[in-house]
Amino acid sequence: MPSNVTNPNGLQRLIAQLAPILVVCAIVFALPVLLNNDFLLNKVARYLVLGILTISLGLSWGFGGILNLGQAMSFGLGSYAMAMALKLKTVPVHTGASGLPDFMVWNNVQHLPWFWEPFRSLSFAIAAGLIVPALVAAALGWFMFRGRVTGVYVSIITLATMVVINLVIIDQQSFTGGFNGITDLAQLELFGVAFDAYGRATYYLVAGCVLLSLLVAFAFTKSKAGLIVQAIRDHESRVRYFGYDVALYQIFVFALSAAIAGLAGMLYTVVMEFASPTFLGVQLSLSVVVWCAVGGRQSLVGAFLGAVLVAGMQGALSESAAFLETWTLVMGALFVLVVLFLPKGLAGLAQVVWRWIVQRRQASTRGVAQGVGQTEGST
Amino acid sequence: MDQFIEQIVTGLSIGSILLLVALGLSIIYGSMGIINLAHGEFVMLGAYAAWVFHTYLGLGLLASLVPIFLVVAAFGWVIERYVLSLLNNRPLDTILATWGVGIMLQQAVRLMVGSELRYVQLPPALSDSMSVFGIPVSSYRVFLFVVSIALFGATWLLMNRTTVGMKLRAIIQDRSVAASFGINAKRVYALTFAYGAGLAGLAGALVSPLKSVSPDMGTGYVVDAFMVVVLGGVQSLAGTVASAFILGELSGGIAFLQNDTVAKAIVLLAIVVLIRFRPEGLFTARVRA
Repeated sequence: MPSNVTNPNGLQRLIAQLAPILVVCAIVFALPVLLNNDFLLNKVARYLVLGILTISLGLSWGFGGILNLGQAMSFGLGSYAMAMALKLKTVPVHTGASGLPDFMVWNNVQHLPWFWEPFRSLSFAIAAGLIVPALVAAALGWFMFRGRVTGVYVSIITLATMVVINLVIIDQQSFTGGFNGITDLAQLELFGVAFDAYGRATYYLVAGCVLLSLLVAFAFTKSKAGLIVQAIRDHESRVRYFGYDVALYQIFVFALSAAIAGLAGMLYTVVMEFASPTFLGVQLSLSVVVWCAVGGRQSLVGAFLGAVLVAGMQGALSESAAFLETWTLVMGALFVLVVLFLPKGLAGLAQVVWRWIVQRRQASTRGVAQGVGQTEGST
Repeated sequence: MDQFIEQIVTGLSIGSILLLVALGLSIIYGSMGIINLAHGEFVMLGAYAAWVFHTYLGLGLLASLVPIFLVVAAFGWVIERYVLSLLNNRPLDTILATWGVGIMLQQAVRLMVGSELRYVQLPPALSDSMSVFGIPVSSYRVFLFVVSIALFGATWLLMNRTTVGMKLRAIIQDRSVAASFGINAKRVYALTFAYGAGLAGLAGALVSPLKSVSPDMGTGYVVDAFMVVVLGGVQSLAGTVASAFILGELSGGIAFLQNDTVAKAIVLLAIVVLIRFRPEGLFTARVRA
């Protein structure tokens, strides 16, 4: 909508659309001032990271109509990329030749495998955490969308692919740490700042990435490519008849979403201080779908808040086992109700309420204006 | 040679369990287009029902099969009536709704009977082993094979030789035309879903002596069952049977050559490739739309 941006009305609308993002991010950035507890801050940072992951799903599902049940695959790949780099930075307790990671020593691996080698460089690892998920997604997207696979089949393929990668990671214990994942990591150090998982620096890093992901995703949805992707979601064949390369746009949104999920995965490793096969497990992957649906799949801020609120609630209640069990039951019921009656999630509900308020206010001002007109005796 | 036959028999045994679990899913998915992620939980309910009937009422497994079918079918009926029938035109959302229902069922069971493992006894009459092609096989596995084929036969008859089945096939072809001929589509759908759920419950009861019973036992089954249905072709019962045994032999064989994990990964990859090139499944003849 470039033409809209130039006219003041469009600009106003753009600002109105950006407002929720900015307000939410302002709250996120202000939180450490109110919360003077490093342990709690670490927890919140964790939920924020899951929020970024959910934004990435919202992008492909809500805007692209691609229900990716394997979104955690990209998340896990990003998480492992970061964990591999941080593992090589540790001073291992059981050192092998040239700082071999401890689990490799236990598994009788003599040399660092070739695909671990480049992870000695942190910048390579960070690039890989974004690019590897994007490339894997692009390849998978090419495989699916060139064959015009749609709907349910996309969900099955993405889910199955994730399970395969998960199985391979668990099976190749000597190279990936297997079931235990990669633990005992060094701290991330960027530009001379050390990111302790319980420090403010890490929190602000996560918060900055929340802002960045929301803005990137927002910019994409407003770009021409983003509009075409939404058109494909609504009516695929019509867009194809217009001469657009439908698969290309689908692959792009799929890969972009994977890159954002990869970013979330890297942050998750920093916040949690380990990487585990559960990060690309079915459980997490389906939870992301729930968060996204509850928050509102067609709203980026909604998806983000959905994750933070639901995961946060779950975390808060997990102190007591009985509470958590009941909460899971309530959560299931809530989720079913949202799917049945609020297909646009809480964001959709907020929109309806907002519109209702605006309309009421307009109606009342109009009423006043009419009243004034009548007392003046009309024209 | 003996080893080869042993592999075949193991594959048949895995295949018959797959068929048991997938049959109900195949009916529900094939006829209603609903991706029922709660299917695994129906299996779990069936297994728990077997355990409850045994521990509290002293009923043997074989005697309780019919009541188990009815109980789980009732669950299915309620869920179709009050949740899924509201989602008529939103097939993707049925994935979400049934998943939510699945979580609720799982959690409700966990809250009521606890999450510890439960065990169901083998029927005493079937606890010995018999010889198949010179290979000793547990009688219960042979029994499962026979039951799975019998249930398939019953389902086929129900679909193709009864009035309800005919109505269902009419609705599958064109719901509104069928409705205008006086077929109560809502009722037929509810019955179909209940039947599929009941089959899942039976499957759960029947596998319960072989595996331990726990609230989250269904999760693994639902993925396997899906793969069977997708491989077999959506609206093809015979395809479901064929693919159940193909997958059974395949996972048995690869697991023998490599290990379980590799077997699972390769089977999944094969299915992904298959969906890409033949989304209608291996055994579906193209029907006129």
